[in-house]
Amino acid sequence: MSIAPVEQEVTSAGTDEAVEQPWITLVWNDPVNLMSYVTYVFQSYFGYSREKSEALMLDVHHRGKAVVSTGSREKMEIDTEALQGFGLWATFQKDE
Amino acid sequence: MAKGFSRRGRGKNVRYAARLDDLERALVVELLTQVRELIDPGGAAGVPPERAGEPADAFDAIVAGLGSDFGARVEAGEDADSPALGGRGFGGADRDPALDRLFPAGHRTDEEAAREFRRFTEQTLITRKLAGIDLAIAAIESAVDDRVELSQEKAVAVLVALTDVRLVLGDRLGLREDRDAQRLEEIAGAADPQDPALYAILVYDFLTWLQETLATSMLPRG
Repeated sequence: MSIAPVEQEVTSAGTDEAVEQPWITLVWNDPVNLMSYVTYVFQSYFGYSREKSEALMLDVHHRGKAVVSTGSREKMEIDTEALQGFGLWATFQKDE
Repeated sequence: MAKGFSRRGRGKNVRYAARLDDLERALVVELLTQVRELIDPGGAAGVPPERAGEPADAFDAIVAGLGSDFGARVEAGEDADSPALGGRGFGGADRDPALDRLFPAGHRTDEEAAREFRRFTEQTLITRKLAGIDLAIAAIESAVDDRVELSQEKAVAVLVALTDVRLVLGDRLGLREDRDAQRLEEIAGAADPQDPALYAILVYDFLTWLQETLATSMLPRG
């Protein structure tokens, strides 16, 4: 299965400035959460396809973390809170 | 003998059914209750829980006997960005590390942002977790003839609550990185059958298996 960095897909829209979407939500690898569960959370919370959700899950697993969403700081805080509610180890930060 | 969750029907009528005997259900309910107590000691945060009041040491009992060298330790000079215990951060030295895992810092490097995030989200997260755990406990206790049957809403509550229990138990077992899971397997393989550590690991493995069957049966197709 692909472990290509999925986050590149997210920034394809307006190429003007990355300034419009300078924040990201990250999910970090942990030894407890199941691959199936992490995939379930990405599908059910973000509405991502199975394929995209599995690719993100594998990124988390193999690379230690993955960018799971991009947008305003407020939106990233909402995503982080929701993912933490699911028990995922989520954080937000400025995209650097 | 337990039988894991499988999906019946679809759409609004979807049900997730498993077969768990009295002891298995009591174990899951007990652990859920203990996690509830850990999150909300004495039931102060919300509706008074019917089961509050018992000392919250089921986890301690289960992991009793684990040696002091058991579990991952944070190495000195560890990379601050490494996804280990140190990175969860900002919870304060006196806070239970399991709570730091249930409610991790929202920002890994900016302590002020993390503090602000916690101030605005933690109470909501706690309230939601408690409601989910209560729903999960009620759902498991409503089993008829060892058959646990869940609606979509209850299935989500059980799925997330099983995560919460596994996160806490995993923390108690020293599961902080992937390689710790490997070590647990080795300990389980070599353990004396009377060793309480073996029991804790078997409980953890049981919960993992149960959650896996539920998560797999709940995965949306496509």
